[in-house]
Formats: sequence, structure tokens, C-alpha cells
Amino acid sequence: MANAADVDALDFEPDDDDLMDEDATVDVDASSPSHIPKLKSAITAGSAPKKTKGRGFREETDAGRTNRMSGRFDSLDSDGGPGPERSIEGWIILVTGVHEEAQEDDLQNAFGEFGEIKNLHLNLDRRTGFVKGYALIEYENYEEAEKAIAAMDGGELLTQTVNVDWAFSRGPFKRRNNRRRSPHGHRSRSPRRRF
Amino acid sequence: MAEEENGAAAGGGGGEFYLRYYVGHKGKFGHEFLEFEFRPDGKLRYANNSNYKNDTMIRKEVFLTPSVLKECRRIVSDSEIMKEDDNNWPEPDRVGRQELEIVMGNEHISFTTSKIGSLMDVQTSKDPEGLRIFYYLVQDLKCFVFSLISLHFKIKPI
Repeated sequence: MANAADVDALDFEPDDDDLMDEDATVDVDASSPSHIPKLKSAITAGSAPKKTKGRGFREETDAGRTNRMSGRFDSLDSDGGPGPERSIEGWIILVTGVHEEAQEDDLQNAFGEFGEIKNLHLNLDRRTGFVKGYALIEYENYEEAEKAIAAMDGGELLTQTVNVDWAFSRGPFKRRNNRRRSPHGHRSRSPRRRF
Repeated sequence: MAEEENGAAAGGGGGEFYLRYYVGHKGKFGHEFLEFEFRPDGKLRYANNSNYKNDTMIRKEVFLTPSVLKECRRIVSDSEIMKEDDNNWPEPDRVGRQELEIVMGNEHISFTTSKIGSLMDVQTSKDPEGLRIFYYLVQDLKCFVFSLISLHFKIKPI
């Protein structure tokens, strides 16, 4: 059965989702549409009912989708342990809270002092043309990326507070107390910087 | 940033987050499509298939940190796509099909529509406001995913 296969492939435990919330309770909405969605999403199977909306729920189950998203996906070798994952040519960090009028130079100036920036993606909002709010930065060495995170996370860039973290992880989310940014555990913080 | 977390919460509740986008069509070169998904455990999957010149399917996956998922969630939340409905959007047709499925908090959308060639298609549709939100959100999400995949694997998506 397609749905069962989906669930297996997903291997998703609701308990593991500690991304945002403190309470995992989901309100059972009495006003939910009475029809039962045909396309039963793998992701919500077994969890509380949700408010659903869209034609996707009224269509026949798409067997093609199961084929498309099952099977082998390539990934870089990883032991699945905690901590950041190395990318093919270096270490990638994510900066969020980036000012909409930030320029690449602003990020170069702020982040270049921790090591040579091998790649910088400062993507734009497609509607407004301003910076979308995040930047992805690549350093060649782990230590450079780690220093940038330690120094800049919670720091200020163009009057806005920015958050800085690794982009990639060696395994799925773990519970909160396992979520460390670096395998070295508690890290000492340098003073915040301003630019 | 507490303020941002509140913002995300206000825009769809805490808890689960899942996002899947598909665009594709079946034609001369077989089933050509692009699909990606963000899973609640942090796994990003990306698949791109074209039989053009006997290209093989590109399938990549990588685990993201909670920070990256949070940014994805912010982009979705800011777009207010969860308030929209695909009722009056163009139906998928021979030219192609797009699907956007998002679970955020206790809301779950699964929208389908045709391919959108340009803003002109948006403006002449029966729900230009809603479709415009979809149109730009999809571009912003693609842009985010392409950056992540190309930086991590050093491949050029598309």
C-alpha cells in the first residue's frame, strides 16, 4: 500500500520535532471539512487532525509521487552523528536576520575576517528585489566557520541582530539537549561585534 | 531572536513543519520534473529528472540544521500562503503541473495548479492576489533550495 510505504520511508517521529515549539499539542479543529482527504499525507499520518485546504486532498493518490521520492538519494558520506556536516568543498554557515538593503560587501567585511569566503549567496526576494533576509557563506576550514558562528551569532549587522549557525547537519534533529552547534560542547563566546 | 520565533508562531503555530514542491510535465522527453521537500527531522530531498539527452535523474539529500528549517518556515510564514486557497487557480494541464504541500502547526495545505509562465498568467487568472503569492513564494523557495544544494554538492541545479 502506497501510504504504508510512505510512512516507512519517512521514518518520522512527531516527538523528534522540537524545532519551534514547547508544546506539541495540536488543536483538534471541530470545523474540519467532513470529507476525508484522499491524498493522505505521509507526514501527518498518525498525528492529530489538521485543517486541510487545497485540491491536492481531493485528487486520487498519486502513485507516481511514491516512485519519485522513494529509492536512493545521493548524499555525502556521513556517519549520521551529531554536529555539522562538511560540504563537498568546505563548511557552510547560514546567516539570518540580514538587513534587506545589505550588500555582498557588507557580508564580506563582517565575515571575511574569520577566513577567506569561498562562496557567498545573498539571495534576493523575487517580488521586492531586496535581500530575502538570509545569506549562505562557505569557508574552506571548519575552524573559520566555527569562529564566524561564535563571534557573529547574536551580533549586529547593519543595525539588525543576526543569527549565525551551521547550515548542514550529520543527522536528523535530536532532542533539545543534544542539539549543540559544535561537537566540542560548550563553546566560549567572543564579544559581540558591530559593523 | 524571540521576536522572530513569535512571528513564526503567529504565522501558523509551532510544531510540525513539512514542505514539498513539485513541478513537472510528461512529454517528448518523458516525465520531466523538479521536486524537493523539507522534512520535519531536517532532511532536505531534491530530485530533478529529465530524459533530455539521456540525462539521468539527480537525487540528492542532506540534513539541515534547525536554523535552516526555521528560515524556510519564516519564508513560508511571511508569505501568508497558508491563508490562500487554490480553488480559483488554473487547473494542471498538458503543459504542466505544480504542487505545493505544506504542513505548518495544525494547518495543512496541498495546492495544485498549472505551470505559470509569467506574471501575465498570474494577472489574467481568476485569483491574481493568491496566485501571485504562490508564484513568488515558489521562486523564493527554489532559490533557497538551489543555493543549499549547489553549495553542499557543488552541482548546478536545473
